[in-house]
Amino acid sequence: MKPRSAATLAARLIVGGVLVYAGAAKAAAPAEEFANVILNYGLLSPDLALPMAAVLPWIELALGWSLLLGVQTRTAAAGAGGMFGVFLLALGHVVLKKIPLPNCGCFGDVTHLTPAQGLMFDSLLTALCAAVFAYDEDSMSLDAWAARGR
Amino acid sequence: MRTKFSRRLASFGAVLALCVASVLAARGARGPFSAAAPDYRGRGPEAAKVLIAEFSDFQCPACRVAEPAVRQILSLYDGRVRFVFKHFPLKMHEWARAGAVAAECAGRQGAFWPYHDRLYDRQDEWTNEKADAFLTGYAKDLKLDAAAWQACRRDPAAAAAVDADMKDGNDAWVTATPTFFIDGRRFVGAQQLRELGTLFIDKELKK
Repeated sequence: MKPRSAATLAARLIVGGVLVYAGAAKAAAPAEEFANVILNYGLLSPDLALPMAAVLPWIELALGWSLLLGVQTRTAAAGAGGMFGVFLLALGHVVLKKIPLPNCGCFGDVTHLTPAQGLMFDSLLTALCAAVFAYDEDSMSLDAWAARGR
Repeated sequence: MRTKFSRRLASFGAVLALCVASVLAARGARGPFSAAAPDYRGRGPEAAKVLIAEFSDFQCPACRVAEPAVRQILSLYDGRVRFVFKHFPLKMHEWARAGAVAAECAGRQGAFWPYHDRLYDRQDEWTNEKADAFLTGYAKDLKLDAAAWQACRRDPAAAAAVDADMKDGNDAWVTATPTFFIDGRRFVGAQQLRELGTLFIDKELKK
C-alpha cells in the first residue's frame, strides 16, 4: 500500500470511529437530553431542537460507518466535512458570544469537551475529511469490493 | 453476490445494520421507571390528573435556574397537578449528596419544601467546604429539631432514600439535571419545561 493510501485509510478510520462513538452515545440516550444541549447554544427553538436531536446522531452514525467500511467514501467524507463545518460555526458562536457551556455535547454524556476543545477537535476532523475527499484511492473498502463486481 | 449492484446493496445494508447494532449496544438494558417518593416530597393532590416528577440536584446551577419555572407551574396549575421531587445528586457535584440527605432529613420533620427552597435560593453560599455548617444553620433557621435532624443525617436510611431515587433515575436513563417527567414524558432543562412542558400539561389536563 502506498504511503498516501495508508494515510487516507487512517484518516477515514479516525473520522469514522469518532462519528460512530459520538453518534451511538447520543442516539442511545434520550433525545431530550441532547436537545437540551442544542438549546444551550441559543440558535434553535425547542420545537426545532428536539427533532434535530433525534435525527443528528443517526446521521453521524451513518456517515461514521460509511467511512469505516468505505461505502460511498468521498460522499461520506464530504457530508461529514460539511457537518463539522456547521458544528464549527455553532461552537464559534458560543465562544464569540461567551455563552457559558460547560460541555459542547459532542459526545452526549459520555465524554465532555469544552467549546474551545470542541473547536480544535472539529477543525482537525474537518481537515481529515478534506484529505479523505481529495485523496481517497483506497482498495481496502467496500466501494473497491463493489467495483470489482460484474 | 457478484454483480456491482448487489454488492452496493449489501454495503448499504451493512451500514444500516451496524448503525442499529451500535445504538442497541450503547443503550444496554433499562429498568422500569418509578416516580414513587415519600409524601413529604410531593405537592398537590395525589389524585391529580397530571403527575410531574423532577430529578434534581441541589448543587446543579441548571436546577436552580429551573426553579422559577417550576414554582410558576405549581402556582399556575395549583390543585390540578401533583409534583414529586426525586433526588439525583450528580457525582461531579461534591456537596450535592450532603444537600440531598440534609433536605431528606428536613422532610422527615415536615420541612422538606422550605429547606429545598433555601438550598436553591442560597446555592452559591453553601456549596463549598463550609457546606456542613451552612446546612446545619439552615436547619436551625427553619426551627428543626437539631438532634433529630443530625441523627437522621447519620442514619443509613436517609442515604438509602437518596440512593433509591438515584436508581430510579438511572433506570429512567436520567443523566442530566433537572429532568422532568410529566405523565411519563421527558423534558430536560428549564427551557423545555417552560416552552414544551406547559403545552403538554395543558394537553394532558384536557384529556
